[in-house]
Amino acid sequence: MIPNPWLNGLVVGGAVLAVLMTLGALASWWERKFSARLQGRVGTTILGPWGILQPFADAAKMIQKEDLIPRDADRVLFYIAPLFPVTLVLGLAAVIPFAGYWADGVWHGAAMVADVDVGVLFVLALSGLMVFPLWMAGWASNNKYSLLAAMRAVAQGVSYEIPMVLAALVPVIASGKLSVTGVIAWQAEHGWIVARLPVVGFLAFVLFYLTSLAEANRIPFDIPEAESELVGGVITEYTGIKSGLFILSEYLHTLVASAVATGMFLGGGHVPGLAGLPIWAQVVISLAAMWFKTLALFVSIYWIRWSWYRFRSDQLMELCWRYLVPGGLGLVASTAVAVSLGWV
Amino acid sequence: MLANIALIVLCAWTVVSAFFVVASKNLVHGVFWLAAMLLNTAVIYIALDAPFLASIQVILYTGGVITMMLFGVMLTLRQSGTIIPNPSQHSPGRATVAGLFGLTMLWAIWTTPELAAMTPTTSGSADEIGKLFLGQYMIPFEALSVLLLAGMIGAIVLARKGDA
Repeated sequence: MIPNPWLNGLVVGGAVLAVLMTLGALASWWERKFSARLQGRVGTTILGPWGILQPFADAAKMIQKEDLIPRDADRVLFYIAPLFPVTLVLGLAAVIPFAGYWADGVWHGAAMVADVDVGVLFVLALSGLMVFPLWMAGWASNNKYSLLAAMRAVAQGVSYEIPMVLAALVPVIASGKLSVTGVIAWQAEHGWIVARLPVVGFLAFVLFYLTSLAEANRIPFDIPEAESELVGGVITEYTGIKSGLFILSEYLHTLVASAVATGMFLGGGHVPGLAGLPIWAQVVISLAAMWFKTLALFVSIYWIRWSWYRFRSDQLMELCWRYLVPGGLGLVASTAVAVSLGWV
Repeated sequence: MLANIALIVLCAWTVVSAFFVVASKNLVHGVFWLAAMLLNTAVIYIALDAPFLASIQVILYTGGVITMMLFGVMLTLRQSGTIIPNPSQHSPGRATVAGLFGLTMLWAIWTTPELAAMTPTTSGSADEIGKLFLGQYMIPFEALSVLLLAGMIGAIVLARKGDA
């Protein structure tokens, strides 16, 4: 961390922004390549080696496209809705330490924009706001498919927020910390949550991962944009760069959600054997470890996306309220019991 | 100094967005102004060094209340188009009640003696707030949660009266 918060925000914030935006763009190329391989195709090949320049060409195309606003749309809301999803997701990334190092026997977070001491709550609060722009867009479009998609998005977002909070409570209770750095520091000292809490830690990780998928509207939870039922979901009426921003925000959300899950359950940038190395080496190794874990989760999300079917809207609600919420409560209760009995 | 200016700007913006909550002709816009107002309040909490309160404000009020209001707006009024007119306009009775309430508030503010500057008794961290909730203020805290539970059950009973 650079001591001056303004300078730290500028330097680290700029770096995080640049890395995330580049990865977000590359993710769309990577998904096309990956899905093509799964289906025995070759994917993009024309622009650059392996077609890797395709997302940049896509962005240029989207910016040039005509920007249409439907005649009967709510012009103001229609115009401002696409601004929020990317902004909110990048805000989420502000409290994630992307690296770390040992100093005086304590794990410190590094490469983070702000070390908020209620970081976990901050993450949950911003994820909860993600339904706003979707609803705004769905309503303002004045299109029945957009509106249905917005209704589904709100219902899904509100429902899956609850098991998500419950899953996030497990590492919070176990570590006694509310900041993302604090949770990671505890894991560096006592072991990663997935392994430290037998069964419960792993189940909480799976729950958090599933609900993050739902919050980011990825298969099997992507009913708000189910193209076979709802044309293009909330972005049906959007053209050009506005629809591009919605699509980019979904890649970014998946990426940031993977990073948050890595921090909460997989020890963030921590790997065994770092203690004793010079600080710069620790920061470099932990940065690589953090991105390795994050991208591994990211890959698995797209693996699921391209090999799993989509749930029906009512099945999705049933899964949440009948199984995930009671399951989450059980996980929280068992963690609390384990902590108060001194087993953790 | 900089912090004071930021606080004044934030407060002014909160009042402006609160004004548009009631002044919007389209109820949907009113709901989004309310969201902006509640978010602003959270930012004021951050400026006052209470990040825990700010996060809870966003989760409970901005996230929760607005989502419920969106459902309310969508489920109660059936009409086409993006504009839902505010039914409270041009109503002398409602204006009188609101005016009287405003006058009472003004009177209360003017007659209150100026308060001395206070330093908070706790640092406002989640840790201390949690200890106060489950220690000194245990009974009010639990009583409130029972009250909220009763309200929730009441809402479910009212909403599902027809199903039985």
